[in-house]
Amino acid sequence: MLGEFINPYYLQVGSFIMINIILGLSIYITLSSGQLSLGNAGFMGIGAYTSALLTINYDLPIVIGIIVGAVVAGIFGILIGIPSLRLQGVYLAIATLGFGEVIRVFFINWESVTRGAVGISGIPHIGRELFAFFREMGFDPSAIGLKNNQFVYLLVLIILLMINILLVWFFIRQNKSRVGRAFAAIKMDEKAAEAMGINITYYKVLSFTQGAILSGFAGALFAHVMAYISPADFSYHRAVEILIFAVFGGSEVIWGAVFGATFMTLMPEVLRFISEYRYVIYGLVLVVMMAFRPQGIIDVSGLEWLKHKMPRGRVAHGSKNSKHL
Amino acid sequence: MVLKIQNICKNFGGISALTDVSFSVNEGEIFGLIGPNGAGKTTMFNVITNLFTPTSGEITFLGEKITGIKPFKITDKGICRTFQNIRLFTQMTSVENVLVGGHSRSKSGVLSGVFHTKSQRLEEERLHAKAITLLELVGLYNQRDIVSENLSYGQQRRLEIARALASDPKLLLLDEPAAGMNETETDDLFYLIKKVQKLGITILLIEHDMPLVMKLCDRITVLNFGKKLAEGTPEEIQNNPAVIEAYLGSEEDDEIA
Amino acid sequence: MLLEQLINGITLGSIYAIVALGFTLVFGVLGIINMAHGEIFMFGAFIGVIVTTTLGWPLWVAFLAAIAVTIILGYMLERFALRPLRGKQGVSHLAPLISTIGVSILLENLSHHLFGAGNHPFSTTFAEIHYKIGSITIYLVQIFIFVISVILMMSLSYWLSKTKAGKALRATAENLETASILGVDTKKIITLTVIIASAMGGIAGILVGMAFNSVNPQMGLSMGLKGLAIIILGGMGNVKGAMVGGLILGLSETFIVAYGDSGYRDAIAFIAIIFILLLRPQGLFGQKTSQVGR
Repeated sequence: MLGEFINPYYLQVGSFIMINIILGLSIYITLSSGQLSLGNAGFMGIGAYTSALLTINYDLPIVIGIIVGAVVAGIFGILIGIPSLRLQGVYLAIATLGFGEVIRVFFINWESVTRGAVGISGIPHIGRELFAFFREMGFDPSAIGLKNNQFVYLLVLIILLMINILLVWFFIRQNKSRVGRAFAAIKMDEKAAEAMGINITYYKVLSFTQGAILSGFAGALFAHVMAYISPADFSYHRAVEILIFAVFGGSEVIWGAVFGATFMTLMPEVLRFISEYRYVIYGLVLVVMMAFRPQGIIDVSGLEWLKHKMPRGRVAHGSKNSKHL
Repeated sequence: MVLKIQNICKNFGGISALTDVSFSVNEGEIFGLIGPNGAGKTTMFNVITNLFTPTSGEITFLGEKITGIKPFKITDKGICRTFQNIRLFTQMTSVENVLVGGHSRSKSGVLSGVFHTKSQRLEEERLHAKAITLLELVGLYNQRDIVSENLSYGQQRRLEIARALASDPKLLLLDEPAAGMNETETDDLFYLIKKVQKLGITILLIEHDMPLVMKLCDRITVLNFGKKLAEGTPEEIQNNPAVIEAYLGSEEDDEIA
Repeated sequence: MLLEQLINGITLGSIYAIVALGFTLVFGVLGIINMAHGEIFMFGAFIGVIVTTTLGWPLWVAFLAAIAVTIILGYMLERFALRPLRGKQGVSHLAPLISTIGVSILLENLSHHLFGAGNHPFSTTFAEIHYKIGSITIYLVQIFIFVISVILMMSLSYWLSKTKAGKALRATAENLETASILGVDTKKIITLTVIIASAMGGIAGILVGMAFNSVNPQMGLSMGLKGLAIIILGGMGNVKGAMVGGLILGLSETFIVAYGDSGYRDAIAFIAIIFILLLRPQGLFGQKTSQVGR
């Protein structure tokens, strides 16, 4: 039956891909207004710790924890975003990198709350909570031929997939709207955008905050899928990994980040021997991409080509927003 | 009176780019701002649109003081500009560029934009219809879906005008619109600017093409070394000895340089 | 106690300053933040460990070897990660930053494989020599480090302002195109810059190894980020600023460890980055320029 085809391990890899796609979107959305933030690992940590601590210490439902986690990350996004506006390009990147490291140092040192470098374990697991819920409703996974753990992981993957579809839809719509045009205009020429009546302060903080919310959201999901988090999960390496999603996949279009996150998560899983050299390869990818294809694998012209190939395929694209990374 | 410039001074680290410049632009006219290179014309534009804050002096637009307010709010109030060195959104199509121009005359936010509320749909339709009208006006209807960096130079200049017009300006600032254009293109530009004037839009124009300026403008102010040298009708300016002196002098400088 | 802490702080600060000098040199000439500088520094430290501890050779050989290896790394960095981006159309100013982040990650993990994770002791008899003056102890290494950093800074300043190569380098920093029109071989100058900066990183690596008797693959990252903090503190591309910034950071870290919460030691640099960038983007000693950021 169904159970024979479903390997919990694959399901879990699928869940990681979904979370990484959200992280990819988080860096894509700040880049879409021309800002490079390397602080997304920090925002992710804020979301993860907030949700984990709320659900453990106050017995709040996971859903509430995740929402509050994303909101708190968003508030930090506004607080960091507003003063960072005066910074451009590399300076913004460095300030946000510094922010991420400060957050990590706080997680390590604020031991009474965060349990320090050891991290927090026993975080309520989305799948298991839902499983318990279904149990109470009188549903038994074996009815559809699934073992309990298969059912749990499948449930998590389906939920994450739905969230992802919703998010991609949301940002494609946003890209095509007045807000998306304002982001793209700011990315291409900030002064001209201002002269056209665009309040760049507002839109830059908006896109920065959206990125922070997405990172916090992804972090909260991460906490409840892993059931364990530690400060090391939100280090410089995470920030670089998130950067890779956009740089490799492509930062011009939303599908670039989606593809980058998917590919970069799958690669070490499919090629196990690579796993050990994962970061070596990450490093090479960054260098090679910058030298030969700074816009990433998937770009506007690539999508146009795909559209021609499949005249009825509904390949949506972001605004043609392609100042190379 | 649409725009009133009063005693504007602008210094950059001790070097004064504008010294005590005053002039005013009447409703519906085409007003020329001319002068040799480095006379401070573009600086004047940057001061009017508040990209630069003036060191001293005051600017009033439709009776309201506009010095010190944010550049994007200037556009809200009804002043929009083009740039000397074309600053289009290069990777957007012509239509998208004009749509961005309509930003200040629309207001849908994140949620209405994502969920396509009724008012948002109407607003987008209105913006699109207007963009198409404006592209027709500047003669770029057939190029509407071309990415703007692939347009010819003259087309890019006209697209910039369409983009600025999308913000429903009462005052349009054109910074050397004829620069780099050939004779036919300049002729087209002449008619385009006249058409814009007929829409009831006041125009303040910087231009080096003297025949065009003389043909087009109702009144002209001449700047030289950041100071106002003369003001008057094209005939008065053409016969003003100080202006002739400044221009002849500067042309010789140009030759040498 | 206070005096001893002061000496410790100056030692640490001197090392920071040398690392920061490498950063500031590359930034001054190329306008690029070399995120791989910390890892090059870390490689220098590992070469020191291998030469002195594993092979048992004398310290001066370790210095030569570390300089040689970091020069090679610097050359490769310039050749493969920076040169391909130069003068290319449509490449944003973020590209070199991302490219050097790539190199940093690559080198860090390469060193995991080459040298092994965890702490490696750096033991030389030289590091044991110390003097007691009253109640305080001064290690010879500490004096050595301070002297070397001052010498490096002074010779760098001299070299930049007085020699022909230094002047060519400053011309290149001023304007790449103009310098090349004026007959400066900019490609050579840029390579030279990156190489010198890297060699300084290598020297700093050995000094750190001696001072702390411990070398690990992660030290590149933390040192790199601190170097970054320092050049932001001292003003980007400012040689004296790098020195003073290094000392300030070294002293404040030492004092927070001695009198505050040692856990937050590593946060100082980043909090400093954030505050300086926001309040005084030109750095403590930089000139105010009209435009911040490139």
